[in-house]
Amino acid sequence: MFFKDILQISSTALLRQKMRTILTIISLSIGIASVVIIISAGKGLESMVLGELDMYNPNTLNIEVRVPSKGGAGSATSMATGVTITTLKNSDMDEIVKIPNISLAYNYITSQQVIKYQEQNKTVTVFGYGANADKVDNVKVSAGRFYTAEEENSLAQVVFIGAKIKAELFGDSDAVGKTVFIKGKAFRVVGVQEKVGASVGFDMDSIIYIPTKTLQKRFLGTDYAIGINAHVIDMSKLETTKEDVGMLLRDRHDITDSSKDDFKVTTMDEIRGTLETVVGGITLLLIALVCISLIVGGVGITNIMYVTVTERTFEIGLRKSLGAKSKDILWQFLVEAIILTSAGGVVGVILGILVSYGIFLGAINFGLKWVFIVPLYSVFLSIGFSAAVGLFFGIYPAKRAAALNPIEAIRKE
Amino acid sequence: MSKLIEVKDLKKQYENGEVVTKILHGLTFDIEKGEFVSIMGPSGSGKSTLMHILGFLDTLSEGTFFFEGRDVSKLSDDELADMRSNKIGFVFQAFNLLNRSTTLENVMLPLLYTKISKKDRIKKATDLLNQVGLGHRLDYSPSKLSGGEKQRVAIARALVNDPEVIFADEPTGNLDSKSGLQVMKLLQDLNREKVHSIILVTHEKYTAEHAERIITLKDGLIESDRAVTKRQIADENNTLIK
Repeated sequence: MFFKDILQISSTALLRQKMRTILTIISLSIGIASVVIIISAGKGLESMVLGELDMYNPNTLNIEVRVPSKGGAGSATSMATGVTITTLKNSDMDEIVKIPNISLAYNYITSQQVIKYQEQNKTVTVFGYGANADKVDNVKVSAGRFYTAEEENSLAQVVFIGAKIKAELFGDSDAVGKTVFIKGKAFRVVGVQEKVGASVGFDMDSIIYIPTKTLQKRFLGTDYAIGINAHVIDMSKLETTKEDVGMLLRDRHDITDSSKDDFKVTTMDEIRGTLETVVGGITLLLIALVCISLIVGGVGITNIMYVTVTERTFEIGLRKSLGAKSKDILWQFLVEAIILTSAGGVVGVILGILVSYGIFLGAINFGLKWVFIVPLYSVFLSIGFSAAVGLFFGIYPAKRAAALNPIEAIRKE
Repeated sequence: MSKLIEVKDLKKQYENGEVVTKILHGLTFDIEKGEFVSIMGPSGSGKSTLMHILGFLDTLSEGTFFFEGRDVSKLSDDELADMRSNKIGFVFQAFNLLNRSTTLENVMLPLLYTKISKKDRIKKATDLLNQVGLGHRLDYSPSKLSGGEKQRVAIARALVNDPEVIFADEPTGNLDSKSGLQVMKLLQDLNREKVHSIILVTHEKYTAEHAERIITLKDGLIESDRAVTKRQIADENNTLIK
């Protein structure tokens, strides 16, 4: 028997049952589309989350406060429990910079304030960022400049504003040199940040930056920060430097047992690793869920093929009595199942790509730093999976068809 | 003439759990190449079972069955399928045509399982449909044909692979007498050149007498095996008595 004849018989049979064929293909393609969508969305999420890290220099060592321990949870706990840790003083930073492998550092603290320009009032998140922030991290300036150490030390009332705030308060006109009021105090705008997009939790363009010391002294009346970012000179000595920072702070905070640390030192690689693990885990979980829908689709195919075989018992018996071998019948029904799953695969992949693109457009529209990626492996994975489903679920009914006794089958007419 | 079929002490029984149903109790006979033989008997005599065994659709339980000198009981499933494909053609009482395929496709069906190219398949099937007088019905669905026309399509299908032997199982059973006559004439014409052997299974004496020889079965045994002395010749002026 020629393969193209098998192909013709199978496709003719599928075309005769148009509605059934279309519904089967749809049910399968939804499963396959979900795989593509989930993987693509996972990539988008990953790029969004990790994109936040691009603002930071890989040579940055992060020190953040944490609730001294019951258990190992970090700074998230301190936020959740409402406990404020006040031990990370400005003087700690001054000492950290003296560590040989550290060149620069800045500390930071956040606050909510009302900003006023002319008649407009806005409540904004204020980041108190040390003046070295633009040297330690990758602060992107679109107009003007970041504030200087001199300005910070003199508690100057200067502000560096996010792109969205600039647009909302000043529209198209120039912001640099203008005066805004933060909680009634006059601040001079020294620079505008480039549009950086949103990242988890924060719209990074709706933030304003003022010098840490200005925020501490003029608004909060404190001398502590919630974190320090330090620039490491020689990355090969990163681990030792991390240890040095830990020992220094333990000494200054009178901590003898490292499990009772009121701070946590993290490298960028660690942060990246943690985020990748989380995003990867979420993606994997979603894929596992989606696989269930593929299996449901597969069982649907088995069901359809069973019905088909039962309906066509007579035809099978006749073909066998006219000289068809068992393997000819096996192939005929297997090819039907394979056509169904491949069609479902192709439709599903196209659907998945379209929906993923829609999600991308929606996310961009929402101001998220989303990236549109459909990894090739997701296409192969879903098509491979659907082909495997087709073979696995198609072979059983096909085998049953092939094993039919021609005399009994022909009596079914 | 050489032997087409040699059957010796052929027995057939079906086992269904504890229950054993004996159908054929030991049949011995030969059929020569080119012979036209009727297998006759009342229903339940085992004639259909015998035809299925001779037509490679069923296997025997005991005894021997040689086809053109080959021991059929030693053939694998695929070899049996090859025998069905190359050596025999079936004509069934219920026609057994695929109503969703055209007449031409139905006739081509047995050739699907051979190595013959599609072009040759179409040519051969068209020629045969012309031969049985249905050349103008190539694109028809069999469901639109009369009973007699259907059976002629079935005969064309049985012939398409140039079989050694045609098995006709009550071929006139579902037909009116005029159509029945046409079918019998076709079978007799086919047998005239002695290229195809014909084995006709029927319960009607009159139909059986169109053959040269009648093997009569009763309760799974051969009751008689004799040459037909007054052979019926089907022609347009004669009508099958039913």
